[in-house]
Amino acid sequence: MAGNLRSMILLLPLIFFMAVMVAISFYVRHKQAGKNFVSSYFVGNRELGGFVLAMTTVATYSSVSSFVGGPGMAYQVGFGWIYMAVVQVTAIFLVLGIFGKRVALLARKLNAVTVVDIIRARFQSDFLAAVAAFVIVLFFCGTMTAQFVGGAKLFAAVTDYSYEAGLILFGLTVVIYTSIGGFRAVALTDTCCAIMMMVGIVLLLHYVLRAGGGYENIMTTLETNNPELFEPFSFGNMPWTIYFTQWLLVGICTIALPQSVVRGISYKNTAGLHQAMLIGTVVVGFMNIGINFTGILAHGVLTGSAADYGGVDNIIPTTIVMAMPIELVGLAIIGPLAASISTISGLLIVASSAIVKDVYLHYAQKNNRVVTPARVKALSMATTAIIGAAVFVIALTPPSLIWLINMFAFGGLETAFFWTLLLGLFWRRANRLGALLSMAGGTIVYCATQASGFKIFDLHQITIGIAVSLILFLVGSFIGKRTNDATLKIFFPHD
Amino acid sequence: MKRSVRASMSDAQKFSLVRREAMYTGLALVGLIVFWLVAGFGTAGVDAKIFHVPLWAVLGTVGVWLVAIVISFVLSRVLFRDIDLGGDDDGR
Repeated sequence: MAGNLRSMILLLPLIFFMAVMVAISFYVRHKQAGKNFVSSYFVGNRELGGFVLAMTTVATYSSVSSFVGGPGMAYQVGFGWIYMAVVQVTAIFLVLGIFGKRVALLARKLNAVTVVDIIRARFQSDFLAAVAAFVIVLFFCGTMTAQFVGGAKLFAAVTDYSYEAGLILFGLTVVIYTSIGGFRAVALTDTCCAIMMMVGIVLLLHYVLRAGGGYENIMTTLETNNPELFEPFSFGNMPWTIYFTQWLLVGICTIALPQSVVRGISYKNTAGLHQAMLIGTVVVGFMNIGINFTGILAHGVLTGSAADYGGVDNIIPTTIVMAMPIELVGLAIIGPLAASISTISGLLIVASSAIVKDVYLHYAQKNNRVVTPARVKALSMATTAIIGAAVFVIALTPPSLIWLINMFAFGGLETAFFWTLLLGLFWRRANRLGALLSMAGGTIVYCATQASGFKIFDLHQITIGIAVSLILFLVGSFIGKRTNDATLKIFFPHD
Repeated sequence: MKRSVRASMSDAQKFSLVRREAMYTGLALVGLIVFWLVAGFGTAGVDAKIFHVPLWAVLGTVGVWLVAIVISFVLSRVLFRDIDLGGDDDGR
């Protein structure tokens, strides 16, 4: 009986939170009724304000690994890990500052609702658009699987319920609310998720300090027992190669992630964009430093090494269970689960748009086939639900090395889209051949080096992928046919 | 701080402005990378602590975050301009 009561106390906040998420999606669907379905479903009718834009960009960017694996590594490595992770404070102002306005202007000129729409128009290539849509769906499925598995494992570790129960509770919820509400619901629920992430960090930090006998006590003990935590290279645990590749992987190259760039299509006006740059930078820094510092302070609660608790991924779940009162544990794990579902929903809606808008509707239009609004609506919602359900099924039997799959997908997307978007939108000479070679060739080389384990100077394969992608882009752009003047006039009216 | 919505700007002017703003953002990134290097690795040899945290760690984490906030503020409130995103004034 006592066990049942404990389980109910743990579960109630989560059920309430998930119910609110679903309720938001129904509310959004009701409010958007009668508006252009494709635009409202895939980019929320370009109505996002600054605060929601900031929160949805941060929440989509911050995954469950930011809340579980990251602080677990900080527990093991120390301040060097936070020093490395803080490079993520660049992510929001970079993507909004470099692409935000340009993408918004182009989307309005071209009536584009997806990043692939813009790529298709810039390079005048259906084949390139199809490759881009394929890359998005492929790598997004990998990332979403990692989020499902990470969230469900956390749920199982903290509550008395099974991995499958966790997957059903939050996995099905995210698929349902994204399918029903589309992008607008994703943005609003992301905002709730980002707020809950911050609440979760503050709560956990408070109880970790209390359980560890206060800040002074924890830090004094650490200075004596764990001097490696106070050294930037952590006595060899943090080589320079990690710093270098993380600047690329979770810093600079994140500007080209389609799930981030699409937010440039979705906001209402530039005042909102400017506001979002500032709010987003404040929030992403708070989350990164806050949760990773909590990971270090967890030494005040846990006394062994990360391996003693089953690895770095178990540090935060174990800390939550040991440091927090039972009635707040359910509330505390909403934070990491919110990180998980907000990333899934953001990816799910973009993956769905890649199939419905970028492939199906485009070819229907090209072949003069009339697709009724009712059919578009049914197809869009069904596609979102089917992709979500497929990833859900994969996550039921989780593949091993799930975190590697997550980082693999991240690097793959960056390799495919970084130069195509950056050079495509800012360099007149960029052309179809360059973009095709870069996206296809770079991605293939990246995947091949990942599969073979080939590295240069022990650097993550993103360095090879990005370098090859750039070289191929330049080669293609110089030997390929120039883009026609009409297209250049749209994309570069100032030159 | 002049940040009025410029509805009268031509399409060419808007794209030119946006390119300039993207360049400012890129330069800000370079500045932040330099600060990150100097604040963290550059002060790693200094034997000083703030609230039990080494100086390099304070400057390399909270310091970098604060500088990023200042950069975002300067970009969004000083260097960036509000424009009308309509795109219908270019005479296409």
